[in-house]
Amino acid sequence: MSLVDDQGPELGGDDAVAAEYVLGVLAGDERQLATLRIETEQAFARLVDRWEAYFAPLAAAYASVDVPASIKQAIDLRLFASGQVAQAAARPGLLGTLVFWRGLAVAALAALAFYVAAPLINPPGEISDQRLVASLTAEGSAVRYLAVYEERTGDIGLSRIAGEPVQGHDFELWVIEGQQAPVSLGVIPGGESARMPVNEALRAKLVSGAVFAISEEPAGGSATGKPTGPVVAAGDLKSI
Amino acid sequence: MTPQDITKLIVRVSLKDRAAFDSLYRETSAKLFGVCLRILNDRGEAEEALQEVFVKIWTKSDRFAVSDLSPISWLVAIARNHAIDVIRARRPATADIDAAVDISDPKPGPEALAVAGGESERVHRCLDELENDRAAAVRGAYIEGDSYFELAERFAVPLNTMRTWLRRSLIKLKECLER
Repeated sequence: MSLVDDQGPELGGDDAVAAEYVLGVLAGDERQLATLRIETEQAFARLVDRWEAYFAPLAAAYASVDVPASIKQAIDLRLFASGQVAQAAARPGLLGTLVFWRGLAVAALAALAFYVAAPLINPPGEISDQRLVASLTAEGSAVRYLAVYEERTGDIGLSRIAGEPVQGHDFELWVIEGQQAPVSLGVIPGGESARMPVNEALRAKLVSGAVFAISEEPAGGSATGKPTGPVVAAGDLKSI
Repeated sequence: MTPQDITKLIVRVSLKDRAAFDSLYRETSAKLFGVCLRILNDRGEAEEALQEVFVKIWTKSDRFAVSDLSPISWLVAIARNHAIDVIRARRPATADIDAAVDISDPKPGPEALAVAGGESERVHRCLDELENDRAAAVRGAYIEGDSYFELAERFAVPLNTMRTWLRRSLIKLKECLER
């Protein structure tokens, strides 16, 4: 190995991240961030697609392996179990026949299995695991953030992709719902990633279609309760 | 089955055609199971992952239309990316060094993998232009789903050195692939 002597240019920027995502070398948190960017940024998704195409022939190294029959049944149960019940019940011509009752028993079993398995797929009760994401950018601004709001925890996770506030200033995060005035969610802590808890009263404002905006404010945030500095990045909240 | 046939099946699946979904499963599940098994190295986890993969194929098949990938490559990408998500969630970057090293032992060498793909493929030709160990790292990462952390362990270099080294390989690869 001659690693120490190695010289030369490196692949950089989003293209490097896209290639690293496709190769699979990114650590868990970096990979999650890349996954969210694929969902929210078309340009990044295209870079990823191109690297997938470049490396695709390497997949010839994967040998086919026989799959146990139970797997397809489990998939069908997860995707279609409730539909089977509806189909069986919707055939009046079969009513009273042995076939129907056998069919119903199978469907009922399937429905029961789905009922038992469903909480694993969708947690019960009112606890939502909905996530909203927003890719924050602005024309002519170097500032780019990715924001993820988790309803379950009431936290906003922020990843800074590029840009920093001018010295002596802070970035402040706002939510704008429809035509209403921006409401401050607080000053964004420094660093590449940050977590901002949202107080109960404001959580109702964080819905799909609302807008996140970042303004540059004096250190400590706007004193007026309204944005005073330029908006350096903004983006719609989308549910994923 | 030709790639065109697989494409038709995926399009029909995007229209929620269950018979097409069954056919697609019959034609491709063994390959995608091979992908999950190779990356996860655990039968139970691979079976669970394959279920998730086909649930994703059913729900996201409309996205195939906007991809530049061939149909089987698109399906393999879903399986690979899901399996890699699972191991990244399972193995935090700072833990499980021993397990990573154990798993790395029975891998076939880069020569065997190169033969599997055929010489006509650009990516193989371009990998051949890299030094052997560098090409092996790229192939290992793609095929086994190795993280930077695991590659750095195997080649006994600091993580940042591994990152620099791989990114140099990537820029050379890109130049060759776009030549």
